[in-house]
Amino acid sequence: MSATSAPDAVIEVKGLTKHFGNVEAVRGLDFVVPRGRVTGFLGPNGAGKTTTLRMLLGLVAPNAGTATVLGRRYQDLDEPVRRVGAVLEATSFHPTRRARDHLRMLAVAAGIDERRVGEVLALVGLGDAAKRRVGGFSQGMRQRLELAGALLGQPDVLILDEPSNGLDPQGIAWLRQLLRYLASQGTTVLVSSHLLAEMAQTVDDVIIIAEGRLRAEGTIAELAGQGRSAMRARTPEPDRLVQVAQAAGFAPRRVAQDTVLVGGARPETLGPLLAQQRIVIYELTNEGTDLESIFLALTAPTPGSSPPVQATAPPFTPEEPR
Amino acid sequence: MIRLIRSELLKLRTTSSPWVLLIVTLLLTALGVITAFLIPNGNRVTFGAPTTIYRYRLLLGAGDTAVWMSAILGMLCVTGEYRHKVITTTLLVEPKRAYVLVAKSVASVLWGLILCASTFVMVAALGLPLLSAEGGSASILLHQAGAVVPGLFAAFAIIALFGVGFGTLVRNQVVGIVAVLGGSFILEPILDGLIPSVAKWLPSAAAGAVAGGLGTRADRAFLLSWWLGALVLAAWGIVPTVIGYFTTFTRDVT
Repeated sequence: MSATSAPDAVIEVKGLTKHFGNVEAVRGLDFVVPRGRVTGFLGPNGAGKTTTLRMLLGLVAPNAGTATVLGRRYQDLDEPVRRVGAVLEATSFHPTRRARDHLRMLAVAAGIDERRVGEVLALVGLGDAAKRRVGGFSQGMRQRLELAGALLGQPDVLILDEPSNGLDPQGIAWLRQLLRYLASQGTTVLVSSHLLAEMAQTVDDVIIIAEGRLRAEGTIAELAGQGRSAMRARTPEPDRLVQVAQAAGFAPRRVAQDTVLVGGARPETLGPLLAQQRIVIYELTNEGTDLESIFLALTAPTPGSSPPVQATAPPFTPEEPR
Repeated sequence: MIRLIRSELLKLRTTSSPWVLLIVTLLLTALGVITAFLIPNGNRVTFGAPTTIYRYRLLLGAGDTAVWMSAILGMLCVTGEYRHKVITTTLLVEPKRAYVLVAKSVASVLWGLILCASTFVMVAALGLPLLSAEGGSASILLHQAGAVVPGLFAAFAIIALFGVGFGTLVRNQVVGIVAVLGGSFILEPILDGLIPSVAKWLPSAAAGAVAGGLGTRADRAFLLSWWLGALVLAAWGIVPTVIGYFTTFTRDVT
């Protein structure tokens, strides 16, 4: 896949490497994030996303390589809060401090007018909770408060680590709209997630990593272009459907008790096959491009590392892919 | 740097710990005031006005034992951030960690001075009325100000700095509080009694030496001279902070 070689790179990562003891969390990672776009930073849990973002923000020191934002290391930026906003996992709040005071202490330290505190609280929908103590906040409210802190300095760049964790579906939709709005205003956004499906509607570009290495980099369209179409079939005989589809050269994958996702299939090829094999079908839908199976294939563990998984057709996965 | 210090002061002000420590300081000082009026008289103890200059100094420096509240405050200023994972946010605002540690040190020292000032307020509010009721001399008390007041302010300030350094080293809040309280209220008194030649180099004794020879738990003759006490106290404040900066405070924050 062609690398997004942008002369206007806002974030540049070169040869970035980090090991914790014997564990190599990030190995020789290279990527760039272009200006004014929403870039998804995707990979399964433990792929090295959080470590990479923390190196980018000067919290973790790399063993080798460089990570720069706006051309400099984060710790060399003047007024970093006015240039870069970040929401990280494993960050929290003092439980007895009020939401407003949490943001005030950031504003004071960054030399930002305290009036901005009320603005960002309203922007993230916490206007009414400003005077409440953070200890009583739900996970979703904490996520919003984190985001308010990131937006305090009206930064040019936003770096978000799994921001949708803890948000309800409405919250996720709201976040998607907010990120699209900020991008339309020229903000560059780098947002990590372990769910491609959730990000597909939000991001312009994707960077996919697994086992600390870059696996793919490009636009969502480029990613979809290398993928296959897929059909979703609901049937009382999923096992037989999987057998038949496999024999015909498709990549079937059971996604629920009675549902099979058939990678590589189109209505014109799968329909006649099912009729010919007399398989009962309750429902047959065209899924278009099967982004999820591309993602699974791209992030599958390399041979030699455990656990072994078929690269093209992963087995029945009732839960979210990990 | 001024912005960072203001932010640290705001952080302290918007949590309950400093206010709790202020109340404990006032209570310990009140206890110290009453103790200063307990005069040993043969085998008995009688309640009365101070009989010696040293006892007047004890009354004026009644907040002496509360000096460790200053250490706990400095420690909470660091460990609270690790405990509640606020350190990440702090370092995103100011990635230069030395600046963060200096801001925390200055804010803690300022709070140490506030705590010390509160002890003199308590002495005035409780000690002066008792003194006049018992027929003591307010003028003698005030004449001890030069020997006690600057030294006690210095002790509260430097012990706060010690707390910051110690907090940087341990990072765990519970371990830190237990160690500070155990060291100051159990270990130091035991050493005072058993090996005064070692105990005089410890922070409490050094603080006593600076603040006009305070310290009731042992013969005060064993204390260091005030200037040597000042040097020892300063070392207790600065050395842990510097070691903490170079060892733990610059580690990865994951």
